[in-house]
Amino acid sequence: MNLSSEQAAVRDVVREFAAEELRPVARECDAEQTFPEDVWDGLAELDLTGLTVPEEYGGYDADPVTYAIINEELAHGMLAVATALSVHGLATSCIDEFGTQDVRDEWLPEMVDGRPVGAFALSEPEAGSNPAEMSTVAEHEGDEFVLNGKKQWITNGRRAGVYVVFAKTDRDDPGSITQFLVPADTDGVSVGKKEDKLGLRASDTTTLIFEDARIPAKYQLTEEGRGLSAAFQILTGGRIAIGAQSVGLAQAALDAAVEYAQQREQFEQPIADFQAIRHKLAEMQTKVTAGRLLTREAAQKKAAGAGMETAFLASQAKYFASEAAMDVANEAVQIHGGYGYTTDFPVERFYRDAKILTIYEGTTEIQKKIIARHLLGDDA
Amino acid sequence: MKVLVTVKEVAAVEDEFQIAGTSIDETYLEYDLNEWDDYAVEEAVQLQEAGIADEVVAVTIGPERSEETIRMALAKGADRAVRIWDDALEGADLLDVGAKTAILEKVVEEEDPDIVLSGVQADDDGFGATGVSLADALGYEWAAVVNHLDQDSVESGTASVRRELEGGVEELTDVELPAVLTIQTGINEPRYASLRGIRQAQRKEIAPKTLGDLGLDAAAVENELELTDMYEPETESDATYFEGGPDEAAGQLADLLREKGVGAQ
Ligand SMILES: Cc1cc2nc3c(=O)[nH]c(=O)nc-3n(C[C@H](O)[C@H](O)[C@H](O)COP(=O)(O)OP(=O)(O)OC[C@H]3O[C@@H](n4cnc5c(N)ncnc54)[C@H](O)[C@@H]3O)c2cc1C
Repeated sequence: MNLSSEQAAVRDVVREFAAEELRPVARECDAEQTFPEDVWDGLAELDLTGLTVPEEYGGYDADPVTYAIINEELAHGMLAVATALSVHGLATSCIDEFGTQDVRDEWLPEMVDGRPVGAFALSEPEAGSNPAEMSTVAEHEGDEFVLNGKKQWITNGRRAGVYVVFAKTDRDDPGSITQFLVPADTDGVSVGKKEDKLGLRASDTTTLIFEDARIPAKYQLTEEGRGLSAAFQILTGGRIAIGAQSVGLAQAALDAAVEYAQQREQFEQPIADFQAIRHKLAEMQTKVTAGRLLTREAAQKKAAGAGMETAFLASQAKYFASEAAMDVANEAVQIHGGYGYTTDFPVERFYRDAKILTIYEGTTEIQKKIIARHLLGDDA
Repeated sequence: MKVLVTVKEVAAVEDEFQIAGTSIDETYLEYDLNEWDDYAVEEAVQLQEAGIADEVVAVTIGPERSEETIRMALAKGADRAVRIWDDALEGADLLDVGAKTAILEKVVEEEDPDIVLSGVQADDDGFGATGVSLADALGYEWAAVVNHLDQDSVESGTASVRRELEGGVEELTDVELPAVLTIQTGINEPRYASLRGIRQAQRKEIAPKTLGDLGLDAAAVENELELTDMYEPETESDATYFEGGPDEAAGQLADLLREKGVGAQ
């Protein structure tokens, strides 16, 4: 793919940053379940915390292709950081897209500088694949909204200073889902349990609890009832980002496998000489390339402003690239044999991390549901 | 105050490569900004951020391809760049120190900077001489292998520098401006270019110049050196096994390293 000289330069710098600053801390952060906050400050210095913010607020306002490239390169270094950043990007996208001038002025410049960190709170304990079943409510009282309910699986839950929260304004009306901005220090907002996860362990995933949390009415971001369609609109871009992160992680696993296969000798020859291993590598490479091209195609469609077509491709990219990442990471462990099953090599982390890609921001099953619906033109 | 930084795009060979005659084919090469120059650019940008330098100009001798590399210097904060290239340079398989000096001398005369920062050496051809040779040609003062520059001193017209000598000895020198300082790695911590810096750099000027534009002709850059051969030396590896417990083995390793010159003070 032909990149502009600006895109190529951005790729080179982010690639170097990921190799120099992310990869070296990935293992320890995973083992200790800590987020590398100083790396986050480094991301901010590179302007990466302002990717989805217009230049007038100091943001970089990345075009969709550049956004995909950046997500790929960061995930090559460390998926947990790439995910945390892309969720911050979802939050800034929402505030920019739906906030009033006042709200944008209040929050965006500081979020561009890296803090407060943003979070995106859609999922609930009883509403995952079908967020329309959510039960969190935000009741209008005078010039305030009063929030009650619980959100689940919130990336950056502890780190965030501001949440974009989806809630119903009428507890009996499923069509009343609306998007709000909730500062983390609002009375009545608390961060609950931090999940102990299979992978992505450096990223904090928590519950959020709202108990009579009052926010000013100006923090209502969308019109009443427009929250869910706004979420899906923003998540289309999010899915391209997850597709790109999948490609980055898969590439990292492939790179590790190629290197190992050339070094490891059995039967007095490098295991890379065995056809069984060569075929694995060839399959892995093909999946990486296909995932990348599909993701870039979705990004290009988004850049061209093709709404429906973008959503269709974004789901294909997310589905294919995330499953490819799972397959490639699995084979990378296999190529490493017993060594791949230990923390002495990074492939076991790639393998554990890869699994989340097929789950969050819409599971594989949900992506297929979306793709088939486009294809068949029905509403099933 | 104006700072001129000389930068060079250097070629690095991939793990596997082949030498054909006296050159290595393009397919085995990757290009990047010379490591030492990265530190020189950072030093210049820091002078600018401290309000001491008003303008930072990067200059390179290189083909169009090298614009990608020099643009990184612009992304990190240099204001504009000058790139010299010419058909007469295209054919040469080697550009020696004399030729580079002749070209850069003309650029310095045109730009009239207060300080010229160059890298100590270039990663690829490693002459390690261009900066000092340039100073000599210009009649400027110079300091080589600078690993600290006192920014405040620069404002007063004298650069107080620290130079790294062999065996871990360091020397403080005052150099009157205008001067050429050749910058050693480690003098600062080069920043990553920011994304907005990269975007701004796309709009910054890289002025292309030919030898003619500088008032030079092909004869001025004729080489006095001739590249006669290029080969990979035979490598031999030597493994030493230390016997004994951890303490004993560590002691032996320390002795060996000291013997090889590591950690000499
Ligand atoms: C580490 C992590 C981080 C996350 N970060 C965030 C975040 O920042 N913000 C946020 O809002 N959410 C976040 N999530 C939530 C994530 O998006 C949900 O977990 C996901 O949407 C699935 O919902 P669920 O877990 O309730 O699974 P369920 O919806 O209960 O799904 C269970 C299974 O049923 C399948 N299934 C469900 N419905 C259908 C159907 N109609 N047809 C076929 N199969 C179906 C699913 O594919 C899945 O296999 C995160 C999750 C994790 C694990």
